[in-house]
Amino acid sequence: MRLLFAALAGSIFGTGLLLSGMTDTVKVQGWLDFFGNWDPALAFVMGGAILPMAVAWRFTPNRQPVLGGAFPGRPSTQLDTKLIGGSVLFGMGWALTGLCPGPALASLSWGGTGGLLFLAAMLAGMWAAPMVRTRLDGVAARGYSSKMDIRPISPAYAVSPQIAPEDMPAIVAAGFKTVLCNRPDAEVPPGLQAAAIGAAAKAAGLRFVENPITHQTLAQTVAPQYAAMAGSDGPVLAYCASGTRSSIVWSLGQAKLQPADAIIAATAKAGYELSGLRAQLDELAKG
Amino acid sequence: MQTDWIWALIGGGLIGTAAALYLLVNGRIMGASGVVGELVDGSAGRNWAEPAAFLAGLIGVPAALAWIIGGADTHLTDALWPVLLGGVMVGLGTRLANGCTSGHGVCGISRLSLRGIVATLVYIGIGAACMLALRHGLGLI
Repeated sequence: MRLLFAALAGSIFGTGLLLSGMTDTVKVQGWLDFFGNWDPALAFVMGGAILPMAVAWRFTPNRQPVLGGAFPGRPSTQLDTKLIGGSVLFGMGWALTGLCPGPALASLSWGGTGGLLFLAAMLAGMWAAPMVRTRLDGVAARGYSSKMDIRPISPAYAVSPQIAPEDMPAIVAAGFKTVLCNRPDAEVPPGLQAAAIGAAAKAAGLRFVENPITHQTLAQTVAPQYAAMAGSDGPVLAYCASGTRSSIVWSLGQAKLQPADAIIAATAKAGYELSGLRAQLDELAKG
Repeated sequence: MQTDWIWALIGGGLIGTAAALYLLVNGRIMGASGVVGELVDGSAGRNWAEPAAFLAGLIGVPAALAWIIGGADTHLTDALWPVLLGGVMVGLGTRLANGCTSGHGVCGISRLSLRGIVATLVYIGIGAACMLALRHGLGLI
């Protein structure tokens, strides 16, 4: 059934491409020729296609596709080098030939040798894309690589050194529901600031809370930290530069709930030696 | 021709209807580069049948229609270098950008996706700039 409707959609798509003139490279190049003998016809193709699709999108919220499964999630808003660079390349290739992927396929039977060569070159480009993508991702991450190292302190709370936007799938997979940023933006480059991490976290379906800690403001950050933890419907991952500040703020909030020894043992097990806090913890427990 | 825009509108409507059908029935975004690309680079995995069926319709039905109306013409240039270079650019570019005219242009813009709108403005802008430079500047195409 899925295959039948997929084939039907492909058929209607192909028919539309043929009738609209999208498979005629003279028309496409004429449409791109804004500064010459501009042919406006293809603007009607875009308009005619966007209209039914805009109606279709309005049906999707809180519903399921007819044949089961789920509709695509909310689109990402991340504008990266791949999107821009890829679209630049595509625009150049499109102008050069007048063909984009859909029409190149639809016209396979009558496109002749040139059409076949274009298709072969296009498939080669698509085949090479994952390698280029990996290379570009490597360049983008250079200089601000992730230092993520998830260290659980309690079943509901773990800490980590600085994380990066690309860590989100691993964080989701580890079962966390909230990412808590304890590192002030002033300490990191833009790619690692709360806005970038927060956008990636939300795109991955995680809750993101910002509670920046400096050594001067440490005491005031305990209450917001615990409010964020209470508001999470699952484990929380907090991060700062090394994970120390996130561990300290957790410890201070535990002072009234468990003995200082147990608190210090819990953070020590995660790799944070905080026995210097003992006097402060005892003080808080009494007060 | 006077009737060009009518055919453009009808064809566009069909393209949009196909995209709506694929979304509402199959739950997928109709993007030509995505459908082919995931088959070529293997990212479709075990779900290859659905995009393959889509492709069969996309290639087969226009072929039959063109035969019925007595042939169609792409008017593609005879020069080899633009065809090969353009092909690689279109294939690589659309996969890096994760979409082409159908995916970003039709499916993205219709849901007001920021990425779709930006990508479409970029490829149309660059396309127009290339036409200006290559056709009117250098006289190459």
